[in-house]
Amino acid sequence: MSEFILEARSVQRSFESGEKHIEVLRGVDFQLKSGQSASIQGESGSGKSTLLNLLAGLDLPDGGDVLWEGQSIAGRSGDALSILRGSQIGMVFQSYYLVPELRALDNVMLGGRISGRIEKLEKRSVELLERVGLGDRMKSLPSTLSGGERQRVAIARAMISNPRILLADEPTGNLDETTGDSIMNMLQLMCREDSVALVLVTHNTTYASRMDDSWLLKQGILELS
Amino acid sequence: MPWYLHIALRHLFPQGKRFPFFTLMSVTGVSLGVALLIIVISVFNGFGHEIRTKIADTYGDARITNGGIIYDPDSLVNFVEAHEGVARTTPYANGVVMLLFRNQPLYPIIEGVDMRSDEELEKLASYMTLGEIDDFDDDSILLSSGFASQMGLIPGDEVDLYTPLMGLKLKQSGGDEVLLPRLLRVAGIYQTGWQRADENTIIGSLRLMQDLYDLGDGAHGIRVQFADGLDPEAEAFALTQSLGRPYYARTWMDSQSEFLSVLEFEKRMMFFLLFFIVIVSAFSITSSLLISVIRKTREIGLYRSMGATSRQVSACFCFQGLLIGVTGTILGFALGFLVLAFRTQITQAISSIMGVSSSMKEIYAFSYLPVHIVPFDLVVISTLSMLVAVLAGLIPAIRAGKLKPVEALRSE
Repeated sequence: MSEFILEARSVQRSFESGEKHIEVLRGVDFQLKSGQSASIQGESGSGKSTLLNLLAGLDLPDGGDVLWEGQSIAGRSGDALSILRGSQIGMVFQSYYLVPELRALDNVMLGGRISGRIEKLEKRSVELLERVGLGDRMKSLPSTLSGGERQRVAIARAMISNPRILLADEPTGNLDETTGDSIMNMLQLMCREDSVALVLVTHNTTYASRMDDSWLLKQGILELS
Repeated sequence: MPWYLHIALRHLFPQGKRFPFFTLMSVTGVSLGVALLIIVISVFNGFGHEIRTKIADTYGDARITNGGIIYDPDSLVNFVEAHEGVARTTPYANGVVMLLFRNQPLYPIIEGVDMRSDEELEKLASYMTLGEIDDFDDDSILLSSGFASQMGLIPGDEVDLYTPLMGLKLKQSGGDEVLLPRLLRVAGIYQTGWQRADENTIIGSLRLMQDLYDLGDGAHGIRVQFADGLDPEAEAFALTQSLGRPYYARTWMDSQSEFLSVLEFEKRMMFFLLFFIVIVSAFSITSSLLISVIRKTREIGLYRSMGATSRQVSACFCFQGLLIGVTGTILGFALGFLVLAFRTQITQAISSIMGVSSSMKEIYAFSYLPVHIVPFDLVVISTLSMLVAVLAGLIPAIRAGKLKPVEALRSE
């Protein structure tokens, strides 16, 4: 059994843009232990989100390997990866991505339904929304929620499937400083309480410094900073 | 309920919003197609049913003949009436005659009916448009409406009638006899609503036909009416078996098989043509769902990031097609039955707007728009409509399922 819950080994990823060949990741190595937290920083366009997508199995590397709990995800079908991701990984995005037709509570429950964690789903969803401070907004549609409230719903949705890893792609990117702080505090607290490993992609050095490990992605290479 | 069905429902009918435009358009298309199919097919069935009823009324459920003259029709009548399932019998005779009026000859078919049968007279009375049934006797005839208008005859007029037998007798006498026609009075004019009977048929008494054709007490056949609810084909077959040769019982369906085939063909053609409305609405479903897939590309990426398989994503959009089909079909049924229930008022309103007469009887011999709802047709319409809606949802569903998660999440 590997000591790392999430690992990247010499991961490479490049894209074609017209006639240009862009190497975004040139052999990235990354490790994260269970319950640990790590931040990934880098300039815009450095490939942070690309790396996060590769770690989540949403995209496949051109070279190298990604391992979840010591198991390589290479060679698995898209659907097999999806099912595995649903049970192990939660994701939080900068733009929240809430389903506009569903109320806050239904958005959280959707995460459980898709991942197949349906036991006491409504009760757990209510509890999670209360934990993120939205006990009184459960029946609200996303369009009636503020940015901070939407991100709280998104975090509750990511946590409903009891993931072992939470991947957060600039979760405070669209929020003001005060709201961002509160979201970060809540995110860290929940991950700590539930022993969930956290990978945070951020531009904010303060938030990055709060993590156990801080990584810097520069010119396609990831280094501990 | 699986999550993808729940999402499909919410996409089509979101909480806190009115009926979305795309859903409304797609459902309306299917509803109109289904409603039109139900209305037109039911009216077609109604016309067919009415015409069948009238044919069965005038022809009888079956006719027993022996290919020639039945010299003792009464004993045959007694035998047939003893057969289980036979409700009524009456002997008849028919043939072609020449009818002369104001030097204008025409060659109608004459049908001799048994005047002893009250039911026969009552039935004739119900079809009469001019004259009285009480005036009908062995020296008079009833004319079909088409024939009467062609010759310009009205009740009370007298006509000369010649039979082929008269010509034969004249030939056998070597020209010694004088050919005298039978003078007959027009007692009334009838219209059954069945074109063939209304065009070129006249009705006389059986006694008259026996005289004209030298039948003695004989007849050309026995008309049989079976008890309600029995299958005429099966009963006629049983009768043929029980009578033995040379007797043969032929149903009205056998005798009018070509005509019935035309009716059935017309109905199928209408179904085929009108079903294109449902197919057109299927294109509207496809286009609206494709737009939905494009609008919700990021959402699809989100589902995949949360653990959804491509099949589940496809099922979500395929189910939307099915839901549109089911909703459209249900509303189409409601609209179709509503229009059928108020068809009389609707036809009257259309007639008054267009300034034409609304009397169906003038054209079709029906005083109302006939409707006959066949459950099998409803099953076919609903099944095909829903199937087409599901097929329409397949293209967007496959497209949604093929989206790569990372590209879907990146889409603008």
